[in-house]
Amino acid sequence: MTRSPALRFLLVLGLLTGAALLLPLVANRGIVFLAGVVAINVVLGLAFNLLFSTAGLLSFGQATFSAAGAYAVALLLLRVPEIPFLVALGAAAATGAAIATAIGLVALRRTEGVYFAVLTLAFAELVHVVIAKTSFFGRNDGLTGIPRPRIGPIDLADGQAYYVFVILVTALLIACLWWVTHSRLGRSFRAIRLDPMRAAFLGIDVRRRRLEAFAVSGACAAAAGGLMGPLTSIVSPDLAHWGESTKPILFTLLGGAGHFWGPLVGAVVFSGVEYATRSLAGASDLITGGLLLAVVLAIPGGLLGLAALVVRRLRRRERPATVTDAAAEGARP
Amino acid sequence: MTKLTRRALLASGAGTALALSADPRIGVGQTNEPIRLGVVTPLSGPQEFIGSFVKNGAEVAVDLINKAGGVRGRPLALEFRDEKANPAAATTVARELLGMGINLQFGTIASTVALAYGPLMQAENGVNLTCGAGSEKINHENYSPHVFRIGDGTYRMRAQARMMAEKFPDVTSWTGIIPDHEYGRTVWAIYVDGLLEFYPKITGKQPQIVDPIIVPYGSGDYRNFITQAARTPARGIVNATYGGDAATFFQQARPFGLFNNRILMDAANEFIVANALKTQVPKHWTGTHWYYAANSSPVSKTFYEAYVAKTGQKMPMGWAGEAQAAVAAYAAAIAKTGSTETKAIIEALKGLTFDTVTGSRTIRAEDNQAIKDLEMIQIEPDAGSDVGFKVSDYVKIPGAGVIEPATPGKAMVLRKPS
Repeated sequence: MTRSPALRFLLVLGLLTGAALLLPLVANRGIVFLAGVVAINVVLGLAFNLLFSTAGLLSFGQATFSAAGAYAVALLLLRVPEIPFLVALGAAAATGAAIATAIGLVALRRTEGVYFAVLTLAFAELVHVVIAKTSFFGRNDGLTGIPRPRIGPIDLADGQAYYVFVILVTALLIACLWWVTHSRLGRSFRAIRLDPMRAAFLGIDVRRRRLEAFAVSGACAAAAGGLMGPLTSIVSPDLAHWGESTKPILFTLLGGAGHFWGPLVGAVVFSGVEYATRSLAGASDLITGGLLLAVVLAIPGGLLGLAALVVRRLRRRERPATVTDAAAEGARP
Repeated sequence: MTKLTRRALLASGAGTALALSADPRIGVGQTNEPIRLGVVTPLSGPQEFIGSFVKNGAEVAVDLINKAGGVRGRPLALEFRDEKANPAAATTVARELLGMGINLQFGTIASTVALAYGPLMQAENGVNLTCGAGSEKINHENYSPHVFRIGDGTYRMRAQARMMAEKFPDVTSWTGIIPDHEYGRTVWAIYVDGLLEFYPKITGKQPQIVDPIIVPYGSGDYRNFITQAARTPARGIVNATYGGDAATFFQQARPFGLFNNRILMDAANEFIVANALKTQVPKHWTGTHWYYAANSSPVSKTFYEAYVAKTGQKMPMGWAGEAQAAVAAYAAAIAKTGSTETKAIIEALKGLTFDTVTGSRTIRAEDNQAIKDLEMIQIEPDAGSDVGFKVSDYVKIPGAGVIEPATPGKAMVLRKPS
């Protein structure tokens, strides 16, 4: 196994992307559709975790950014159908970054910790109400009939073309998030999380860095949200509901906040449980919620935290044997 | 533990791929396999009370058909999914069913969900029959050949306006309590269209339309809106709030005496509000998809008896009848065409006449809208009754006389107050 974190990351990302791209060969189109939704959720979870575990900011309003991206793409595809789709996605990311910057400028000015979290929730609810009350956004009914676009000669409405596109774009977004997390910028985010006062003393502009973290997270969440409209053919105010903001938090806690891939594991497991209990109407939410509660309470480090613990214990068990063997080897004449 | 060999892995992978690639939708009659119908309806959340009627109604209808030998010798089987009254959740589970090869679906009651199905079913080659969605867009500007409304649609409110003109010719000023969503806006727009057409025709009087009171969806406090309504000169009020919202609104309106000297026309709560408020329910009219006690056809009677036997509910609401109509429409279409393929079913459904609990219905070929008779009941409190209320009047209006012209792909042209 390679020791370079970048190569190791690319290897894992390549394997996951490859597995996702091969899925249509073995699964029906319903499952493939759900896999597309999970891929988008993974980016939402990772974007949240960039804020939470890297920059130390707890945001309860992530759905604002994904909904902003979803609405931006939906409106552009419905009203300006000739717009290139990649430009629409870029516009979605820019919208997310702009809204995050605007909210961040207010929320990060004087608040942090739980006050910041509550303020993001308040802004998210404001955005939800504005969407639900504005005719331009389709009010409570949302926007329907969002087409799957073309990219040059490729018609994304053909077969699983749009799913493949979703997987490739989400892989790219995941790579961006990993790069930010491990870049100099990411290290300054971590420095702020660990000790903002010392970071400021070392010359890091704490407020500016936090705003940058918020904007990067918002842009990635919005770009992922932008993929949602053409996938489901509908965007509705539910996307901006506070309940949607809790999902990336759940993915992160379930998978393990201390690990880059934690939200991915969380999103996949969460969706798996939801899918397995889908025909148990009413009980489905109860089972999903109960399982989440059990995992979060019993395994504070999440599923990846548990896996890491198990691996450490196994290694510790193996280690004395190795030492004895080595000693025996060394004792030989 | 058994070791998974490379050979076993390859074999199982290939086998799975082969099994999944097989197309289960083969011609009816070549097999005795059940014909699977997907039911996507709210089975949890705030609209579960409606979804439960759809679910039970569908199960009873399928049981009756299967007991009678099925469709062309094949039994029907239902696959339920919970759409939680959320368009995104609904499209997700609908796609999942399509992925399982279940292309014939029904159970939609929310307008937004029904509107979302048009492009989805078209793209994914499925069919959806709505069971109560009221938006006029479904068969007009958002018309999709893959979505059918097998029940009463837009024109139910026109029938209710006509009935008011016939029963209350002196009540010529109207306003509405309208929730701010697609269904609410549709109810008001169509009701006004009906008032403006039928009052002059039947009574010779021009109705006065007072701006409706728009209320937030899911509001817990209607008192401001109630005083607003009480200040208007309107002698008639149409209510489009729904379920728990309507019960809250009716209850809060009591101390204000809002309904004392006014006629209350409720859009379609059937027994929902009356069940909640019992002897406190104000006297009002309400639209119903199917009133079991007034339909004496053998289909209605058999269905009602089977429904009561299965659920123990002696007062089923009309959505159960809409589910029966959806199952009957698919059964008739499959029997007619001999196939369950989407294209064949769409062709068979267009112009299809089929028998339901409310009598015969015909699906208009141009815009996939069924023409059926419209039913309205008057509910009033009754302390002597077990349930605290009674149905004191019933009116049936033939659908052919009130249905709007078919304009698929184009917005419905509505009369508006000058």
